[in-house]
Amino acid sequence: MAFAGVIVTFAGFLLAASSIGIATANSVRLVIVLVGIALSLGGIFGLLNPAYQKNAAWKR
Amino acid sequence: MEAVRGMTMRRILIACAVTWVVSVGVARAQTPAPVEPAAPAAAATAAAAVPITDADIKGIGGPSADDKAKGDPAGTITGTVNDIPVGDSKKGLTVADVVNTVGQNVIASNFIWTLVTGFLVMFMQAGFAIVETGLARAKNANHTMMMNFMVYGVGMLAYWLIGFSIQMGGVAPNTNLGGLAPLNHEVTMSLFGKNVGLFGTQGMFLGGATYDVGVMVMFLFQMVFMDTALTIVTGTAAERWKYSAFIISSLFMGAFTYPIFGNWAWGGGWLATLGANFGLGHGYCDFAGSGVVHAVGGVTALAMAIIIGPRIGKYTRDGKPNAIPGHDIVLVLLGCFILAFGWFGFNPGSTLGAATSGNLRISSVAVNTMLAGMAGSFSGMYYMWIRYGKPDASMTGNAFLAGLVAITAPSGFVNPMASVIIGLVAGVLVCLSCEIIERKAKLDDVVGAISVHGTNGIWGVISVGLFADGRSNYAGAWNGVPGSVTGLFYGDPGQLVAQLIGVATLLGFVFTFSFVLNAILEAVWGHRVTPEVELQGLDIPEMGALGYPEFVLKEEGATV
Repeated sequence: MAFAGVIVTFAGFLLAASSIGIATANSVRLVIVLVGIALSLGGIFGLLNPAYQKNAAWKR
Repeated sequence: MEAVRGMTMRRILIACAVTWVVSVGVARAQTPAPVEPAAPAAAATAAAAVPITDADIKGIGGPSADDKAKGDPAGTITGTVNDIPVGDSKKGLTVADVVNTVGQNVIASNFIWTLVTGFLVMFMQAGFAIVETGLARAKNANHTMMMNFMVYGVGMLAYWLIGFSIQMGGVAPNTNLGGLAPLNHEVTMSLFGKNVGLFGTQGMFLGGATYDVGVMVMFLFQMVFMDTALTIVTGTAAERWKYSAFIISSLFMGAFTYPIFGNWAWGGGWLATLGANFGLGHGYCDFAGSGVVHAVGGVTALAMAIIIGPRIGKYTRDGKPNAIPGHDIVLVLLGCFILAFGWFGFNPGSTLGAATSGNLRISSVAVNTMLAGMAGSFSGMYYMWIRYGKPDASMTGNAFLAGLVAITAPSGFVNPMASVIIGLVAGVLVCLSCEIIERKAKLDDVVGAISVHGTNGIWGVISVGLFADGRSNYAGAWNGVPGSVTGLFYGDPGQLVAQLIGVATLLGFVFTFSFVLNAILEAVWGHRVTPEVELQGLDIPEMGALGYPEFVLKEEGATV
């Protein structure tokens, strides 16, 4: 799951960066970039962090 | 007693609110109607101007040697035509001599400004050191202080070796510092039909053609910024970070992580040219580094917090956080003041000059910096006071820093009113972010660096896209796009999109890069000290000496 988190986080960046080529309208670019940011945040806090928390010392 | 305190609190809040409303009203009432510039008079003056010849200059006389010998208490005969160096003594003073002296004076004042503000930024290391040490426990004082002390040298070495080259190796021309012509090669790639910059290559070891006075100024100023980013991470990972792992991690960050994003934003890279290449405002704009410095440090701190895990005793078995108070709140608040003082180098210094090219805006940048810091401490203090019943000192200090972090990117593009709003939001944001990081994400951030620098660095980047008022004018263009940087509220939605692409890069690229680097380091070297060392305190096992040898340290779990 940690690996998936890294991939999803990086994919968010790729999506946001590609917005400049995918669309010419700023409103469409804005939506794509926001989706990219959400994806990255999801990767960090939804996948990566929980993967590391699973074996956290304080749970033992 | 509680009721009386509550009433007092309400009265203070009402008084502050009334003061705020009245102040805004008075400020608006005092705003004069716009006055049309006296264009015809200016045009007439320009038309009357005639070229100066060598003959005109030869007639100008300076004070006599006798007058100078009497002293100059009023300062009226010091700094005259006598002080302009003559290129050819046979010809005497010529127009060329005067013009060259004027040119050198412009660059000299820019050099002095940039160097002195760089020295101020260097002093911020002292502020970070005592803030972090004050927020750590006494048993880790030596270790925390040493990390903050050596991050300066470690980072500088990495930056001198390769980091500066990657970040600024293709940044020329920069007129403020005399051109920086030797920094002239940027590796590019084609992105959607446009050539975009990826990293620079000139300036490694500051050798060859980059042994240049302008390049040296740029190196010093950029180097102290880089060190600021590195020292953010030590605050998050304090009290459990193996000293050797810290050294290696900081070397990588100073050599690669920071310079890569620095190039994209400040070195002519693809983010800076989003405006020129893809019509997004003026490209990614980050005046002094909310994103480049603080958010890069903040997201790297986030990656480290995930990898290294919380300190022993930070969470109970059911996941409830325990407060682990720092050992010296006096150090913490003194450190905040030192940092605020250094910020007058950080933000106003980022003009890279005081003369020409619209650089007199340094006064506005300095005032914006003060206001946002003040507003942040104000809103943060009240948030804590209302929510927890006390104006928590360490969080008020963090809110002060959060305001300063948030204004760092927009300080050169916004007006004072926007600065206060940005600071007020930052002060509350840092408190909310600390709660989420600690309670929801269950990440142990000793000093709150992820929230202060990461969350508010990102807020600062976004606020450029919202509040930039289109009134700044730095030589008529920014990032190669003519005109002034203008945010959404002043009519340019494209600028907000450019800023958000910067945010996505920070979260998606910089975080991932930092995470992978430090995860590899965790696998081959290990970041964390043993539980025994952590319980004992890192001072003796890691550093060989206590920070406070005459203190009596209580054992972990002991009650007083």
